[in-house]
Amino acid sequence: MNLANPAEASNRIQEKPRGSGKAAKSILIGLGVAFILIMLVLPLITVCVYALKQGWEVFSGAITDPYAIKALQLTLLATVVAVVCNTIFGLFASWAISKFHFRGKQFLTTLIDIPFAISPIIAGLVFILVFGRIGWAYDFLQAYDLKVVFAVPGIILATIFVTFPFVARELIPLMQAQGNDEEEAAALMGANWWTIYRKVTLPHIKWGLLYGVILCTARALGEFGAVSVVSGHLRGKTNTLPLHIEILFNEFQLTAAFAVSSILVVTAIIILILRNIVEFKGRKEESEHVR
Amino acid sequence: MGQAKWVSSKRLRKKNRVIPGFGLSMGITISMLSLIVLIPLLSIFVVLSGVGPADFWKAISDPQAVAAYRVSLICALAAALVNALFGTILAWILVRYRFPGRRILDGLIELPFALPTAVAGIALTTLYSDNGWIGKLLAGIGIKVAYTPIGITIALIFIGIPFVVRAIQPVLEKLDGQYEEAATMLGASGWQTFRRVVFPEIRPALLTGFGLAFARGLGEYGSVIFIAGNIPYETQIVPLIIMSKLEQFNYGAATSIALVMIVFSFLTLFAINFIQSRLNHAAKGAE
Amino acid sequence: MYVELKDVNKEFKGFRALNDVSFSIEKGKLVGLLGPSGSGKTTILRTLAGLVHPDSGDIWIDGKRVNDVPASKRGIGFVFQNYALFRYMTVFDNVAFGLTVEKKDKKFIKQRVNELINLVGLEGLQDRYPHQLSGGQRQRVAFARALAPNPHLLLLDEPFAAIDAKIRKELRLWLRETINSLGITSIFVTHDQDEAVEVADEIVIVNGGRIEQKGNPADIYKSPATPFAARFIGESLVLDRHETLHGFETYSGYDQAVIRPELIQITKHGKQPILHASEDGIVEDVFFRGSLIEVHVNVKGMRLIGHRSPEEEPLLPGEKVSVLIYRLYLYNEDKVHLAENVRLKDENTVFI
Repeated sequence: MNLANPAEASNRIQEKPRGSGKAAKSILIGLGVAFILIMLVLPLITVCVYALKQGWEVFSGAITDPYAIKALQLTLLATVVAVVCNTIFGLFASWAISKFHFRGKQFLTTLIDIPFAISPIIAGLVFILVFGRIGWAYDFLQAYDLKVVFAVPGIILATIFVTFPFVARELIPLMQAQGNDEEEAAALMGANWWTIYRKVTLPHIKWGLLYGVILCTARALGEFGAVSVVSGHLRGKTNTLPLHIEILFNEFQLTAAFAVSSILVVTAIIILILRNIVEFKGRKEESEHVR
Repeated sequence: MGQAKWVSSKRLRKKNRVIPGFGLSMGITISMLSLIVLIPLLSIFVVLSGVGPADFWKAISDPQAVAAYRVSLICALAAALVNALFGTILAWILVRYRFPGRRILDGLIELPFALPTAVAGIALTTLYSDNGWIGKLLAGIGIKVAYTPIGITIALIFIGIPFVVRAIQPVLEKLDGQYEEAATMLGASGWQTFRRVVFPEIRPALLTGFGLAFARGLGEYGSVIFIAGNIPYETQIVPLIIMSKLEQFNYGAATSIALVMIVFSFLTLFAINFIQSRLNHAAKGAE
Repeated sequence: MYVELKDVNKEFKGFRALNDVSFSIEKGKLVGLLGPSGSGKTTILRTLAGLVHPDSGDIWIDGKRVNDVPASKRGIGFVFQNYALFRYMTVFDNVAFGLTVEKKDKKFIKQRVNELINLVGLEGLQDRYPHQLSGGQRQRVAFARALAPNPHLLLLDEPFAAIDAKIRKELRLWLRETINSLGITSIFVTHDQDEAVEVADEIVIVNGGRIEQKGNPADIYKSPATPFAARFIGESLVLDRHETLHGFETYSGYDQAVIRPELIQITKHGKQPILHASEDGIVEDVFFRGSLIEVHVNVKGMRLIGHRSPEEEPLLPGEKVSVLIYRLYLYNEDKVHLAENVRLKDENTVFI
């Protein structure tokens, strides 16, 4: 064993597979790549091909349609509000959970995860049960002439609900792994909460935070089920982009549906690229500073 | 007296924490969680309390609902199994092999998280419908995909694959190649090494990924509804039943079925945790 | 007294971490809290700092009871075991942090930080990040950071634990000199008795949440006050049949005895002048330890360890030798007694 060249030993994984190993490698890579191509890439290509099937005119007509633009605006509004709201929640929740000991911590963490565990349909349903005609808050809303369900606030609330844990879930494990030493040291020197968070904690978690924000954005942009329940499908009023796509598809306006979809496909690809960059940068920086 | 005591104990607790900001962060956390998640969820029980046991039972045991449970369960299970197999293969080739395009493949895994489900839904439906690119081929050999349980399963495979890959990948990355080398040195073949040495290591992660993909499949709506076609007793999944009850303004029935679904998702996650802890226990006992 | 703990108790979930801890420290002293891991020494340090709150008892610093003073207001500098340097701040920003928090004038901060960086010998490294420093340099930054706000008490938790053995010795001397030149009252925690003896003016021995003994290193070494102190300090060996040894037959009523290498003289057989006070033994093992040679001898079924100089004639395993025991520490439950070899006294022999 001692005769082994250390350089050779360190290369062990990527090494020269012999005989059957080589065949296994080719088969496995073939299977994996085929799966991804058929299951994930082909649908993407479908969107692009169908979007441009009837030419550029139809495509640009579909995406500049006033209803499409209204839907895009509403989607962006809901996304921005959800991201801001869930980022604030994530920053506070991760601080409370990772920096202190208290009873029921595990339980609290589980509660935060609930929106991941239940169907988006149920997420929409609960807001109807609160603010809809049979909801206990309905009379109050009526009295002040407010509308939540089948209106913009409902859509925003449903979007916040389904994306609620994203930022917190990224930050909590990160901050727990980092430990409390630096925060304790800063607190001993008399720094207040805001100073510690800004100067000591935030530099550690900035990539994780960005990562969480990106995931949250992706999900908020594309949320369909929950929003579909609370929207009432009012064109130009409570339609988000995914709901607009549904209407177009069901009206057999295939090209228009795919044209509008292509906006979201491009966004999805941008998000994927950003996600990979952020993940790479975060890993690199962490490995640098941890040593 | 009582108040003074309370104040002093509160002060005591406050000064016992060296790092500041507990009260503020906890307060905001609990308030936001309650307002956005807990209180709305509790309204399920508020509404159900007005439904009555007979109506509740009638709603959840309605034959159409029972058929929907079956479709949802079978499709989610089938999709999660396919994903467990291909997820393991994908995680393995991404971690253990170097080949051109590996990084792009790695990035693509996350596509189902990034792509809006409705877009995925219409794309899959178009692709697998009788005159779609794949649907045409399959129709030629007599297999119909769109508007059948197979279509639902395909949509759920699409949505669930990242869960499995992303659960296994980090475990494989950490797994020391020396284990495999040791097994190879002892004369194990490649397949034996995988089955006896690598697989036990990734099993807990595989189970987690499987569970997450399954749970997601049960609740999935956007990517499924287009390809499912909403045919009662055949391709109507549970979220669609809830949706149609809501459209009939039958809130009691919708909420009853929703509760069944919630209970089922939690049971799934609980079961996975339980098996997980048993596996851990067994592994520890063996040591 | 400058720092004083009175009957301090602390329990962690049923585990008695501190058990009626009382001791005091004079101003300007450099004190080592010495004890095995889990003895409560770090808890004492963290209690002083305000990171841990006692269940009962009083803590006094500079004539003020500080139990209700929050950690940040106690005027304490704390050097953490792994330094807890701010990883995303430069050396300069790390040292400046405490002053920035106090909203000191920028010019003052710059001057003070530079002064401290010079003091700890890190000139030119101001703009480095912690991961670009060696272990020893990191410790110096942690030290400078703790000193920056001008604390009147400096606490150091295992200050040398994370440093390579080689630089450790050098850093010990440096720390001792620097602290003495500053004249700041300092307390450090260690499990390494060499470290405590070498660095501290005074040692407090902690065991099982109790204070066993407090005193200067030489006194503790020469006259341990408790059985634990006797066993813990020095290269101690416990014997259970001491009364069978020549010169110690008359000491009875003690359970066990502690012996150290420097209390034993091992000579080649036949070369021992005071034969009636010594024992015969067989060499079991011989270890070369650099500046000395460690010899394990079997005497009446008990293993004793002694040192010899490399200059002396070498001994071989299996060889018959004479073993002269000058002194033993005898103890039972709670008493320690320094027992002289009575046969040496009778003779009034002078030995080296």
